Amino acid sequence: MCSILAIESSCDETSASVISNSKILANVVASQQVHEQWGGVVPELASRAHQQNIIPVVHKALQEANITKKELDAVAFTRGPGLLGALLVGSSFAKSFALGLGVPLIDVNHMQAHILAHFIDDPKPPFPFLCLTVSGGHTQIVRVNDFLDMEIIGETQDDAVGEAFDKTAKLLGLPYPGGPLVDQWAQKGNPQAFPFPLSEMQGLNYSFSGIKTAVLYFLQDKQKSDPDFAEKNMADICASLQYTLVEMLLQKLRKAARETDIKHIAIAGGVSANSGLRKGLREEAEKRGWQVYIPAFEYCTDNAAMIAMAAHYKYQAGEFCPQDVSPMPRMKF
Amino acid sequence: MLLEKGLEISCPSQRDLPETAAAIIAFARGQGGQKIWLFEGSMGAGKTTLIKEICLRLGVEDTVQSPTFSIVNEYRAEGDEPVYHFDFYRIKEVAEALQIGAEEYFYSGHYCLIEWPSKIEEILPEQYLQVQIEVNEDNSRTILLSTHE
Repeated sequence: MCSILAIESSCDETSASVISNSKILANVVASQQVHEQWGGVVPELASRAHQQNIIPVVHKALQEANITKKELDAVAFTRGPGLLGALLVGSSFAKSFALGLGVPLIDVNHMQAHILAHFIDDPKPPFPFLCLTVSGGHTQIVRVNDFLDMEIIGETQDDAVGEAFDKTAKLLGLPYPGGPLVDQWAQKGNPQAFPFPLSEMQGLNYSFSGIKTAVLYFLQDKQKSDPDFAEKNMADICASLQYTLVEMLLQKLRKAARETDIKHIAIAGGVSANSGLRKGLREEAEKRGWQVYIPAFEYCTDNAAMIAMAAHYKYQAGEFCPQDVSPMPRMKF
Repeated sequence: MLLEKGLEISCPSQRDLPETAAAIIAFARGQGGQKIWLFEGSMGAGKTTLIKEICLRLGVEDTVQSPTFSIVNEYRAEGDEPVYHFDFYRIKEVAEALQIGAEEYFYSGHYCLIEWPSKIEEILPEQYLQVQIEVNEDNSRTILLSTHE
C-alpha cells in the first residue's frame, strides 16, 4: 500500500488529492463548498487565497480519503509552470509537510500531469499516443512515449487557444472570460457564415494572436454600416469563430498524427470541454480511424488528482526531489 | 505628471515591426535607459506582438508567449538579464497585483514590459516609458512614445 498526498496551486485553483496505489481516493478543489465550511472570502486570484485555502483543502482531502497523515508515504506538489506566488504556497506547504512527516517529496510538472489525468479512469490510452493540451494558458501537442517520457512536438508561439476564445468573446461584447459563452452561441449558429483566416505557422506550432486582430478588423468594418452587427449576428459569428479555432487545432493534430503515424489521440486541459472540439475530434476519429480519449471534465480543469497520478508514477520510478527545490514558473518538460 | 519627451513612429505593416522595435529601444536608451515600459492599445492592436519583437532585439531566446494567463512571464535577455513581461488584464483589484509581488518586479531594476497597466495604475512607478499603439483606418499602426517622470 502506497499513499501520496498531492497539492496543486499553480494558478487560481487550490486543490489537494490522495492516491493509494493507483486509485484516487479524494480530489478536493477549493470552491464555495470549502469556503462555506471554513468561512472567509477568497479573492479570485492571489497567493493569499491559496494560503487561506491550503490547510482546509488538505484536511478535507485526508478526511475524504479516510486516511491519517501518518499513513502517507510521500507528498507531491506542482513545481510549475504557473504563477510564482501561487506555486510558492503549494511548494512551501508540501515541503514542510513532507519534512514533518519524514517522507519523500515529489515535484510534478503541471503540463505532464494534465496528460497523466488520462490514467485516472478507463479507457486508458496505450503508448505511444498524442495529447493535445488546450487551456487558457497553454496549447501543446505532446508525443507521449511512456508515463514519464513525453516530448512537446508543437505549441503556441503567442496566445493560448483558450485565451483566443476569451478575448474574441470580449471583442464581441461578451463578458470575460467568455470562451464557454462562445461555445453556447456557436451551437445556434452557422459555422460557415463568416470566413476567418486560418493562421499559417511552420511545422506543428500554433499562433492564435492573429485571429483576435482579424475579428477586430471584421467588426470595425461591419459596424460602420450597422452598429448593432455583433448583437444581431452573435450566433453566426461565434459559430464561425469556433469553427476556425477548432479547425486550426485539428489541422496541426492531423499533421502530427500523420507524421508520427500515431492513431491514439487524447485531449486534456479546460478547453477539452468545448463542444466544437469534441465534435470535430469525433468526426476526425471516424474519418481517420483514430481512437480518441477525453478525460472526465473534473480532470480536465486544474485539479490535484492529476498531480497525484503523476506522483504515483514518479514514486514507482523512484524520482524524488530534495528539500531545497524551488518552484519554476516557466517549467519545461 | 510631466510629459518630458515624445516620439511618433509609423508602422505601416507587420513587416515593419523589426524597425519599429529597434526605434523604441533606441528611444528608451536615449532617455536614460528607462526600463519600465507601459504598453497601451486596444485588444488586437498588437501589444504582445510588438513585445515579442522587442524581446527578440533584447536577445531573448525563449518563446515570448502571452502572459494573460500567467500574469507575468520571465525571460532572459543578453547577459542573462531578466526581462519581466506582464499582462494585468485579468486583475480585478490592485491588491491582487501586490500579492504576486508586482512592486518587487517593478523596482528590481530589470526590464518590465507591462500590458494593460491601467488595471493597476495606483501601484505603477512614477517614472516610465509609455508605448501607445494606435490602430489607424487602413489598419497600419502609429506608435506614440513618451517618457514620464
